[in-house]
Parts: sequence; C-alpha cells; structure tokens
Amino acid sequence: MAKQLRFLNWLALTGGILFSANVLAEDWPQFRGPYAGGASSKAKLPDAFDGEAGTNIAWRVPIPGRSVGGAIVVGDQVITTTSDGLEQRRIRLLSYDAATGKQQWEQQLVARGRPYCHPTSANAAPTPASDGKHVVAFFSSNDIACTDLQGNLLWYRSLASDFPKAGNDVGMSASPTIVDGVVIVQIECQGDSFALGVSVTDGTTVWKQERPRKANWASPTSVVLPSGKSAVVMQSSQDLVAVNPSDGKELWKIEMGCSTTPSTTVANGRLIVPSGGLTALDLSSAGAPSKLWFENKLNSTACSPLVDNDKIYVVNRTVLVCGDLFTGKVLWQLRIPDANQIWSSPVIAGNRLYLFSMDGTCAVISLDGQEGKVEKTNKLGDEVLGSPAVSGDAMYVRGAQNLWKISAK
Amino acid sequence: MRMVVVGLLMIGFASIAYADVTPQQLELFRKVQPSDDAGVAQASKLAKELSARNDLQSLTALRAMKGASGLGKNWLLGLANAAQNKRPASKADLESFLSSANEDSEARYTVFRWLTDGDAEARNQWLSRMTEDPSPEIRYEAIAKALEPAELPEAALRSLLDSARQPEQVTAIIERLDKAGVKIDQAKHFGFLTQWKFIGPFDNVGSDKFNTVYPVEPDYVANKLADSYPAKAGAVTWQSESSSDREGAVDLAKLYNNEKGCIVYGVAEVNSPSEVACELRVGCINAQKLWVNGELVIANEVYHTGMQVDQYVAQIKLKAGVNRILIKVCQNEQKDAWAQRYIFQARICDSTGKALALK
Repeated sequence: MAKQLRFLNWLALTGGILFSANVLAEDWPQFRGPYAGGASSKAKLPDAFDGEAGTNIAWRVPIPGRSVGGAIVVGDQVITTTSDGLEQRRIRLLSYDAATGKQQWEQQLVARGRPYCHPTSANAAPTPASDGKHVVAFFSSNDIACTDLQGNLLWYRSLASDFPKAGNDVGMSASPTIVDGVVIVQIECQGDSFALGVSVTDGTTVWKQERPRKANWASPTSVVLPSGKSAVVMQSSQDLVAVNPSDGKELWKIEMGCSTTPSTTVANGRLIVPSGGLTALDLSSAGAPSKLWFENKLNSTACSPLVDNDKIYVVNRTVLVCGDLFTGKVLWQLRIPDANQIWSSPVIAGNRLYLFSMDGTCAVISLDGQEGKVEKTNKLGDEVLGSPAVSGDAMYVRGAQNLWKISAK
Repeated sequence: MRMVVVGLLMIGFASIAYADVTPQQLELFRKVQPSDDAGVAQASKLAKELSARNDLQSLTALRAMKGASGLGKNWLLGLANAAQNKRPASKADLESFLSSANEDSEARYTVFRWLTDGDAEARNQWLSRMTEDPSPEIRYEAIAKALEPAELPEAALRSLLDSARQPEQVTAIIERLDKAGVKIDQAKHFGFLTQWKFIGPFDNVGSDKFNTVYPVEPDYVANKLADSYPAKAGAVTWQSESSSDREGAVDLAKLYNNEKGCIVYGVAEVNSPSEVACELRVGCINAQKLWVNGELVIANEVYHTGMQVDQYVAQIKLKAGVNRILIKVCQNEQKDAWAQRYIFQARICDSTGKALALK
C-alpha cells in the first residue's frame, strides 16, 4: 500500500492533471513552470487581448534593453532579467509587484563573459529560477547571480572567468534550475563544455560534470524518480543523462541524438524527449528508462513540448501538432495563421493553448473539440521569444522590450 | 610616475574610514578572483551580514570598485544596488560622484543610470557634455545621443569620430561622413591589418588538427620561414593578399576556392616607432590561433558561431621596429549553408580601441 501511495505521489509530481492542479494560483518559479510542464490547466485567462488598445492588459512595464527569456512568479513578485548598454554588458534582474506592475527592486551587474549573440537573441536569454527563497539569474555571458527576494545580492559567479572557453557567440540560452539546494546550469558549446552544480546558499561549486563539446541551447529538466528522489535530466546531440542534483553523480545515461533547442518535458511518469521527433521514455522502472515510442511527426523545431490531459503538443515551425501521450500517434495538426518564427514555448490555461510568434502575435487555440481550433489571434505589440508564466488567473509575458500582465481582471 | 600615483591612491583608499563597512571588509570583495570557491563563500557570508545590518551606503560600495578585480567590482556593484534600493543616496551626492572622472568607470555609469533612468531631460543634459568621458559606457551613450540629429556638420561628425571607440558606432559615423562626401579610410581608422602573406591549405580533415604543429609554426617562432612547405595536396608557397575590405576582412574561402577541412597560415608585419602595450583584436568565424613575435596570444577552437569586429582580444606588447604576426585559421567540413565562411579580420589598437600609428 505504501508503495502504491508512493507511486501515486510520484505520478502527481511528474506531471499530468494532478500536477496542473498543484500549480494553480501558485508560483511559476522557472522556465516552463514548477515541473517543466508548462501547463496551468485551471487558470482562467482571457481569450482576447490587445497590447495597443490595452484590452485585458492589466499592466505593461517598459524595460530598457532586451530579453528573450521568460519571467517567473514568486509569491506576489514577477521577476525578469534584461541586458542593455554597451554590448549588452549591463545585466539586470528586476522585480515587480504582480498586482500593480510597480518596480520593487533592481540588481545590476556587468557581464564578465562574452555578451555577444545573434541579433535575434540577447545576453538576457535564460529564464531566471527561484526556490521561493532565492532568485538565480543566469546570462548568455555565463554570469550568474543570486539574490534574496528583496534584491540583496547573496553571491555572484562569472563562469566565463572560471572557464574562459565557455560560451558561444550565437548566444547561450539554457535556463538554470534549482533542485535540493543546488543550482544546475548546463553550458554546452565547442569550448569549455560542462554542467555545474552550485550551492544556492553561497555560490560555491558542488559538482561539475563534463559535457559534449557541441553547441546546445536546451535546458536541464528536473524530475522526480519513482524512489521519490530528485534527478536532473540533461540532453545533447549525443546523449540523455540523469544526474543526482546533490552530487552530480550520473544515475543513468542513454546514448541518443537529442534536439539541441527544445527541452525535455516530464509528464505522467514519462520523459518526452525532443529528438528529431519525439521519444517517450518510461520513468517508472529503476535504472535507465526504456523507450515507449518514437514519432518523427511530432517534431519540435524550437519550442519545448507541452503535455496536458494526456496529449502532447509540439510546434513544428508554424504548425501545432497534437499527439497521444501514450502512443505518440498524431491526432491533429493545425497551421497557425499569421505566424512567423516561433521561439516561445506555449502554455495551456483552461481549455486553451496560448502560442506566441516572435512578432508578438498570440494564437489562442481552443482544445475543446476533436481537433484544435484557432479561437482568436491577438497582437501584443512586442517581440516575444520567452515562454509566458501563468499564475492565478493571469499570464505574464516577457516581451523583448516590456513585461506584460494579461488578465481579465 | 605612474607607480607613485597608484601608490598614493592605494594609501588613500586604505586610509578611508567608512562608518558602514571597514576597508578590510571591502577588500575581501575587491580581491575575489576566478575559481576561488573560498573567496566566493567568504564574500557571500559577508554580503549577507552587511545586508542584515542594513546600513551600507551605496556610494561606499561604488567608491571601493576602483582598482578592484572584475569579479570584485560585481560584488560591490551588487551591494551598492541593494543599498540604493533601500536608502537612495542624495541626488547631490550622486551628481558629485558622477562628475568625478577619478571614480571607477563602471561605478560612474551605474550612478548615471540611477540619476537618469526615466528622466530624459536629465539624461540629455548629462550626455551633452560626455562625449569624451573616460567611461566607455557613458561615452558610447553620449555619442549615440549626439548622433541623433539627421543632419550634422562635418566638423561635428569628425569630432565624434575622433571620440568614438565602439566599432558599430565608428562605422556609422564613417558612413555618415561618406554620405556627406567625406571619405575616411575605415580600415586605417580602425587599424586593421590589410597586408598579408598566406600559405596553405594544410590538412584539417576531421577538424582535429587545431593543435597539430605544422612546420610553419616552429619556423615562424624561429624567424626562419621557408618559401615552400608540404601541405594537403603537395607543396605550397606563400601568396600575398591585400584586403580592400573596409573592415579588413580577408576571405580565405575565396582565396582557397572554398576548400574545406583545411588550415591556412598568414603572416603580417607591423612597424612600431616604439615599444608599446596595446591590443590585438580579432574577428573570425573559424577556429584560429595568433602569435605575436613568436608568442601565442589567441587560441579559439570554435567554428561558425558568429564573427564580429573585436570578437577576441589579447593584450600584447609591440617592440620598437618590426613585429611579426602569425595567424592559423582552421576550416571544418560542415555542409550547412551557414557554415561555409572562411574569413577573419585583425587589428591592433590601444586599450580603448583607437588605432596606433603603425606602419
């Protein structure tokens, strides 16, 4: 019985409906939410909004510089980063009151690593992370800073100073995650290529693991194993590896070619791995997970896959593809009208999927019927590359130039 | 003379007594170095103590940035920001700090932002007199502001060109002068090396010869380069190439018929009137190594991740007379359309980015 309860608890923690219920009205503490699922199924968001007219825009805050990462929500704070100034060397962490949009505090440092990136990207590319007590901001330049929720600097590291060949002039973008008191960053490039575990308390190195020396922009994914213990899964074009976040020890490793932009999703005891299509792996057994299925039609170009209500959603260029979580069978496809490039991973709230194009056009897709249907196409009036955060009945969107709160209230 | 000034500054710093923090505590932040876990832990512990005491003044932390390590400056900047969030320094004190060119450049720019973010009028007033500011960040913004009018007289553009250091800004001014009928030799203005001799292609199939020492390298170090070397497809000889690109770019793909999986060496010479500390700045989309007078100064085994002016920077010392520069440029075998370029640019300038008077 205890074993059964533990298994049910594990299923709850690893995604699906129970997970979605858990995060309702709670924090959105990292890239794609609490458990890298990216869904908040019961949030009530407006289907229509307009950035210029202000329709269902609770507030908008212009932020100097540029960001392509998402915002996070911790309690009543919305926290985001930006990079500006000469060569985007000024790296900033900013906190706003979720209710009013009023700025609460700002931290501002100078990038010691290489701030260079493709014009599409920004030094402020990774989404920050929080464990509810600390806020960790990581930048393409491999500068990493940690503050408390009041903006006091707790520690700072320049990983480019520690490892001078770490970096990529296209721009790095893997977001950090915090698990069991350890900040995990994945820095994979042609030079110094590694994953690092850093104490969230004082910034000291807990562990370091060498990684393939190839460019990679995917983020580490935190998962809960059947044993109840945490693990961090990292993907590359050569492997999929799970490590113990506390000491960096490898738990298992599968040699497989994973995608290097969209990140792995965890749901209902399965790892959903972008891999030139999607590979579903069974997490329920001990040791390396076994393959459940592979479907090359579920190809995700840049956005990370999203799972909700036993369905998987991927974005292949400008086509939303829905598949069955258990079989990988493609259920329907929907071309997104007026979409140009799409970088922002979608979110689901209620029975709607919200998908932003880079030009700030948001397709709101109804998931009520047998097939997805575009319900509304909304213009935000800001570039959007980061994934939205959903908290309560609001969606917080980090545009390249502004932070937006979209809410019917 | 410089030593004396530095010494006096250090004595002055050590003798400053702050009510909110001791010089010894500030020194702990100032000296944080890379790969120093113990230093990070100590700094973190002290940062938390100061945060709990809640009496640190932002300008105290900013003053301590002068002469600190790069990492130390960020620790102090972080403390200063938090202090400013809680107890903003007075406008008069901030203006006084910003007006003092002797303070740390990054600290002054931080204060500039505190004073002017959200206040366009104040920003414009400050920037109108800061085009020669020693802070690169302030100078960049001041010149950008000065360039806003669509029409500027030639004298004003020339003056801004003399002040500007950021490559894109310099290029923009040269283009505006060009439109006004004033021709500037852009490559010369930047100090790009345009006269080269190349030899190759040598083998780099498998992209694993970055550290392979072909005979060109020891011969260059020994200053006895031969006229010919065995290479990828038989013996090769040196060929002269003069770049006419305004940014000094040398297109090796064009020169070597889009060869892939190869290495090309290039040599250039510069004549310096005196010994001078300066910088070698390189932009290259391929893996590359550079030597100056026999010493390896730049090495980056990175292929096709972008290229821009001043992408890689090395502090070097030129001797009086002829100085010899060797570059090794490696091309891999990627087939992607975006991975076909085989190109580099190199320039020599002072630490601010201004070209030296070299021949």
